[in-house]
Amino acid sequence: MIEFSSVEFQHPNGVIALKGIDLTIRSGDVISIVGENGAGKTSLIKHINGLLKPTKGSVSVFGVDTRKESVSALSRNIGIVFQNPSHQLFSESVEDEIRFGMINFGFEEELVAKRLNWALTLFDLERYRTISPMLLSGGEKKRLCFASVLSWDPKVVILDEPTSGQDFLQKENLMNVIKILSSQGKTVIIVTHDIEFIWPLQPRIVVMAGGQIVKDGSAENVLNDEDVLKRARLLKPHLLSLTEGLVVKPREQFSDVYDAKKWLVKTLRG
Amino acid sequence: MQWISQGFVFRHTKSRFHDLDPRVKLLVSVELFILSLLVSSIPKVSIALTGVLIVSFSAKILGRISRSLLYTLMFSIFIFVINLLVGYSPLDSLVIATRFLTIVGSTSIFFLTTPPDELELVMKWFRLPRDLVFAFVTAVRFVPVMMLDALQIMDAQKSRGLELQKGNPYSRLRRFIPVLIPLIVDAVIRSGELAEAMESRAYGAVRNPTSIFRLELKQRDYLLSAVSIVLSVSSVYAFMFVL
Amino acid sequence: MHSDTVNETPEKDEIISFQDYSFTYLGSEFPVLSNINLTIRKGELVIIAGSSGCGKSTLLRSVNGLIPHMYRGETKGSVHVTGVDVSRVQVVNLAKKVGFVFQNPENQIFMFSVERDVAFGLENLGLPREVIRERVDWSLRLLNIEHLAQRAPHELSDGQKQRVALAGVLAMKPEVLILDEPTSLLDPSTAKELIEVVKMLNSELGVTVIIVEHRIDLIVSDATRVICMSKGEVKLDGSARYVLSDQDISLFGVSAPIPARLNLLLRNEGISLGKLPLTISELVEQINVKIK
Repeated sequence: MIEFSSVEFQHPNGVIALKGIDLTIRSGDVISIVGENGAGKTSLIKHINGLLKPTKGSVSVFGVDTRKESVSALSRNIGIVFQNPSHQLFSESVEDEIRFGMINFGFEEELVAKRLNWALTLFDLERYRTISPMLLSGGEKKRLCFASVLSWDPKVVILDEPTSGQDFLQKENLMNVIKILSSQGKTVIIVTHDIEFIWPLQPRIVVMAGGQIVKDGSAENVLNDEDVLKRARLLKPHLLSLTEGLVVKPREQFSDVYDAKKWLVKTLRG
Repeated sequence: MQWISQGFVFRHTKSRFHDLDPRVKLLVSVELFILSLLVSSIPKVSIALTGVLIVSFSAKILGRISRSLLYTLMFSIFIFVINLLVGYSPLDSLVIATRFLTIVGSTSIFFLTTPPDELELVMKWFRLPRDLVFAFVTAVRFVPVMMLDALQIMDAQKSRGLELQKGNPYSRLRRFIPVLIPLIVDAVIRSGELAEAMESRAYGAVRNPTSIFRLELKQRDYLLSAVSIVLSVSSVYAFMFVL
Repeated sequence: MHSDTVNETPEKDEIISFQDYSFTYLGSEFPVLSNINLTIRKGELVIIAGSSGCGKSTLLRSVNGLIPHMYRGETKGSVHVTGVDVSRVQVVNLAKKVGFVFQNPENQIFMFSVERDVAFGLENLGLPREVIRERVDWSLRLLNIEHLAQRAPHELSDGQKQRVALAGVLAMKPEVLILDEPTSLLDPSTAKELIEVVKMLNSELGVTVIIVEHRIDLIVSDATRVICMSKGEVKLDGSARYVLSDQDISLFGVSAPIPARLNLLLRNEGISLGKLPLTISELVEQINVKIK
């Protein structure tokens, strides 16, 4: 229900950020848009909530052309969590920060309070409820931004480089939240260059390079394609390189270390 | 915004004028500026304006100067009206208003043809305090970066339902707080990181830092300086005693 | 090269030493670093790993003097760099010996052209013009960015900016190079390229390198030492194999490279791969050997 038709986007200064983009995203899909910095990933997602309007072609979201709606109206259903928390946080307290979006969208006070509690709990921020967002650590700020977007319950959740600057534990927690969202039937779009992070999720992958979509398919399919990897300057996931090098191949790709362990134990013993 | 961009932001352009030593470019600008201050009649202001336009043409920045003067026209009209109201004759008010255009044009010439690096060297040559020069260069270096940040912040907040275009001027100002605060915080964080980097690169280790670049006057610099001085002095003489 | 145990130090090779060092930020209740005892020798390539807030950034800044000079607080114990007590020398003077590359590519470039920026540190030190010119050219060549000399910072990609920052630091010919999460804002290919340059600086120029890096897998096979920190203390300190073989460092919030994680998991099932593999190719080799 997100449809890009022959979309081209040209900046006022002449630079073409997107060329010939055709993309369909269905309700409930879990997609990862990958590519190096500058490939056009952020420009692409900004078209989904109308921050950018195509200079050629069209984008329709839930059947509505994005040029006919305001960013605000589109954002009610499309939540984008941007990469840099310091570009968002401004409130006097964590709870005010989370309330901000809901208030802008006209939620009733009772619902605001309910969603606020839910968000604080899900992201383990309850103890910071009345504290200023500026006092939180980097990882906590990222969680707060995520919480504030989820609070208004958008149908589509878009994460822009959610793993940058995150350590191991923070990334694990992030993955858990993504899985929860997916299980709730939300459409999740993860824009990232961190292939290792999304590999275990085995999502549909859309590879971008130079403003174009280079390949669109299953994780295994896409990341096994040497040409695509080269063109998009991506590194092959370690587990994929592992299976490639083994003299005896497993039936299915390893999606995480535990998969690999199980197969190896079986193979080396049996 | 556009006024500043068109009139004062340096862009790479190739022209003989650009190749001159920045001190000579400054000289030309100052000469035109002084000439503009001495203007007191229509003929004089025309000469000054023509001077500005001729120099702009040779520096291939005529387009930008014209556009910047167009934006400055608003202020000019304002000055014209005020002078009329205060009691000056329409002709005098016109001269004063047009004079403003030439003043802006003459200063623009310097800024449009001098990259920040050269600006820094000129400031150092004038023996301005090191910290002041550095602060200036850093500001020029980071203004475009901060403008980009401002756009990103607006994008992020618009995506949370913030509507910046709605409402009366007062409520619009209030709506700007979610953009203003992150911008300020961003600037503060940025200064902190810059300070760390500066110290780590020995800023302030020595009272008189050296410089990899040096301003050197070439033949064409001397030539143009001489010509422009002769022209300006004769114009000043003409303005004061002949016209 | 080094034994697989925590090292005892011969004095003459020592370049950095922490002795019972603790630091508490002004106004803070708890120390951010406690009882650090660490010696780093010339030419080492040291990885410092740990979860957010474990004190790694503070540790790095204690080496070039930003702590305690720029960030006030209470210090206990001492830090010496090339024999000099850090608390007694200003940061700008330590800058001659210790170069620091920060995380954000944007906030380390001051000047309006790459050339000028690389010269920045040398100008600050008051070196003669010819020396500055020579060093700038050398540095640009070393980092393969000569073609960028006249560009303005806004014309560069983040990866290029980090190279410029590194060039600016290298031009000062420091003995120690510190990098605080230099690749965290870069994409993986660019990160890999930058790390290769850092490795080269260590192996070919003999620069002592201390790097905080989350993507350990990119650099672990060349590291002489891995230090894991948690809550302000050094928990593990030794060669890469020593640190990764027997413990699960994800307990410290660090993502261990996949070969190391698999190695541990297999060991728990009673399967030994022999020497700890540090790269995927090593891992593949060792597994294939076992299969046959």
